[in-house]
Amino acid sequence: MRSELDAVLRSSLGRRAFLKYLAIAGGTGVLAACQKNITAATQGGGASATETRPPLESEPGVLHAYEWAGFEVKPLWRSYAAKGYPDPKFSFFTNTEQALAKTAGGYTWDIVHPEVGYVQDYFNLGAVQPWDTSLISNFPDLNPALEKAGQLDGKQYEIVTDWGYSGVIIRTDHADPSINSYSYLFDDSLAGHISWFDTPWILLQAGLVLGVESDIFDMTPQDLETCKNYCIQKKKNLYNIWVDFTQMWDDVRQGNVWAAYAWPDAWVNTRNDAPVAYIRPKEGVLAWGEGLMLNANTENYYHAHEYANAWTMPQTGLWVINNYGYGHSNLKVDLSKVDPAVVRAFGLDDPVGNLSPPAALMDRYQPQRDAYNRAWDEVKAA
Amino acid sequence: MTELDLSIETERRGRPVPSRRRRGRRGAVTAGLLSGPVSYLLVFFVVPVVMVACYSVGLLTLLPQDHYLSLRAWHDFLFGSIYMGVFWKSVRMSLGVSITSVLLAYPVAYLLALVAGRRKYTLLLVIVAPFLTSYLLRVLAWRVILGEQGVVNSFLKLVGIAPQGWLFYSQFAVYLVLAYVWVPFVALPIFVSLEALDLSLLEASNDLGASRWTTFRRVTLPLSMPGVIAAFVFVFIPTLGEYVTPLLVGGPKGFMFGNGIQNAFLQGFDWQFGSAMSMFLIGAVMVLMAVFGRFVSFRSVSE
Repeated sequence: MRSELDAVLRSSLGRRAFLKYLAIAGGTGVLAACQKNITAATQGGGASATETRPPLESEPGVLHAYEWAGFEVKPLWRSYAAKGYPDPKFSFFTNTEQALAKTAGGYTWDIVHPEVGYVQDYFNLGAVQPWDTSLISNFPDLNPALEKAGQLDGKQYEIVTDWGYSGVIIRTDHADPSINSYSYLFDDSLAGHISWFDTPWILLQAGLVLGVESDIFDMTPQDLETCKNYCIQKKKNLYNIWVDFTQMWDDVRQGNVWAAYAWPDAWVNTRNDAPVAYIRPKEGVLAWGEGLMLNANTENYYHAHEYANAWTMPQTGLWVINNYGYGHSNLKVDLSKVDPAVVRAFGLDDPVGNLSPPAALMDRYQPQRDAYNRAWDEVKAA
Repeated sequence: MTELDLSIETERRGRPVPSRRRRGRRGAVTAGLLSGPVSYLLVFFVVPVVMVACYSVGLLTLLPQDHYLSLRAWHDFLFGSIYMGVFWKSVRMSLGVSITSVLLAYPVAYLLALVAGRRKYTLLLVIVAPFLTSYLLRVLAWRVILGEQGVVNSFLKLVGIAPQGWLFYSQFAVYLVLAYVWVPFVALPIFVSLEALDLSLLEASNDLGASRWTTFRRVTLPLSMPGVIAAFVFVFIPTLGEYVTPLLVGGPKGFMFGNGIQNAFLQGFDWQFGSAMSMFLIGAVMVLMAVFGRFVSFRSVSE
């Protein structure tokens, strides 16, 4: 058999034919992909809602929700199920960039759940359409500071449902809570016990500590350079750069880490095991929101609105706060059923004020995301 | 010997060439034989690589409005301040890991192939057994061993020595974990080449008065070199683009070339830049393969 293969490989005709077919196949694949992109480009972003839609009863009915793992649980859409709609079909992504890339590659869904900083990206992709908020009865009760972040050109492209902070968790036996600043993450006195998250947002936090003049989400090259150099200078103080939040929780519990970039759920999960405080820094805490976006070509338009309504119920909000340690956009959540310490840590007593400047700086689209990422690469490689 | 083989032989000896019809049949058979693997390579290797190359120059883009042809990513990558440095750092790490793995695996393979006798396949199974568990679990298990409250540091504390922070979240941890992960992979090709050794050569060496060490140095080692080099390549190439292990155990100094690619695609959402880095890595690997190809006959390894 080997001699046969040798003969083919030795034969110049075989090689030529092979290369010819290779080129044809490769070229066809590339052209097909180019065609897909060009078609998408000509369609433009943010397809508008179709004027005439089939009624809810005529829709296929089984929603496809492209979600974070853990957001498929029934308490989050209980009222949707209670109305007798079929259970949604769930698929999962591990981060928003992955979801966006798959969507760009042709993956379809009815509803997706990205952070507000990526609303513009989905719009640019032409993958989404605005919600008809009049069909979501809970919408008037949602936090306007959050819902504003889901708007483009005055249209509600994302129904923001849940939110959190990117603050700092500190061990109060080693760090003074009264400092109340992102400077914990760069403090020489905590050297060897600081943990950053693997995200360019560390550059934003450095910018807040340094008090850079330009908008931290769209810094001038000089300010970005300053933040990068500051991070490189302070990198010597790190214990690690965490990628797995449960690992960071363990390090905080065990006392390996005294100050870490953290979401509020870190404090919720460690407060009974160690002396910890969750810091919403005086510079303004970086906040993020995420919510539901509607596919431009969904065949389940009305079902999707019903589903969004279920997600924005006060009962759903209570469940999200008590079980996941995230905030919820509905302002009518019954806070008497939430631990008062959690209410204080989250600032749930004044969610509008606490999620608005100067108390908080809400995540938004970063036009220079690639520049921030490369600066962050330089910090990590330093 | 098949009819096809015969026809090739007659051609080689200058006898009358096979008829047109026979040549046609031969072509159809070989085309049929090759169609499966060639299609597989085309669909799952060549086309994706061509697409990545297109992304790297903007011929393809993720977002439709970014559709433009540009060498910006290549320029930024080749003349950027860090990426070539990170590449050479990854090369050094891969070399270190590959050499360490080969040094650790050779005695194991030698033992299995030449000493273990009838138990060698059972022992081989034992060596391969860790592969039955998840890669991630095997990597994270090192945290239990090397971490601040891990087995090693707890023992050090017990005997009055301060815990050693450099054991984990360090380049040392990356080297150690990668070497651990790859040793069984490395042992296999070396085992195969040692097992194929003609034992009469070793006996002849012994009969001629060579010591065991001399026999190993002059006979066993040279004859097993194709396996050693193949094993080295098996480790070197994948670890060059490794990013999971540095991410999990490397700490602040664990950033490698693979992490740069991952960041460009995921965090930065900069597919053009990530594709340029990926194409560079593919090119580097191909060059390295060509270099290694000069030192090893892959056919002799396969045989």
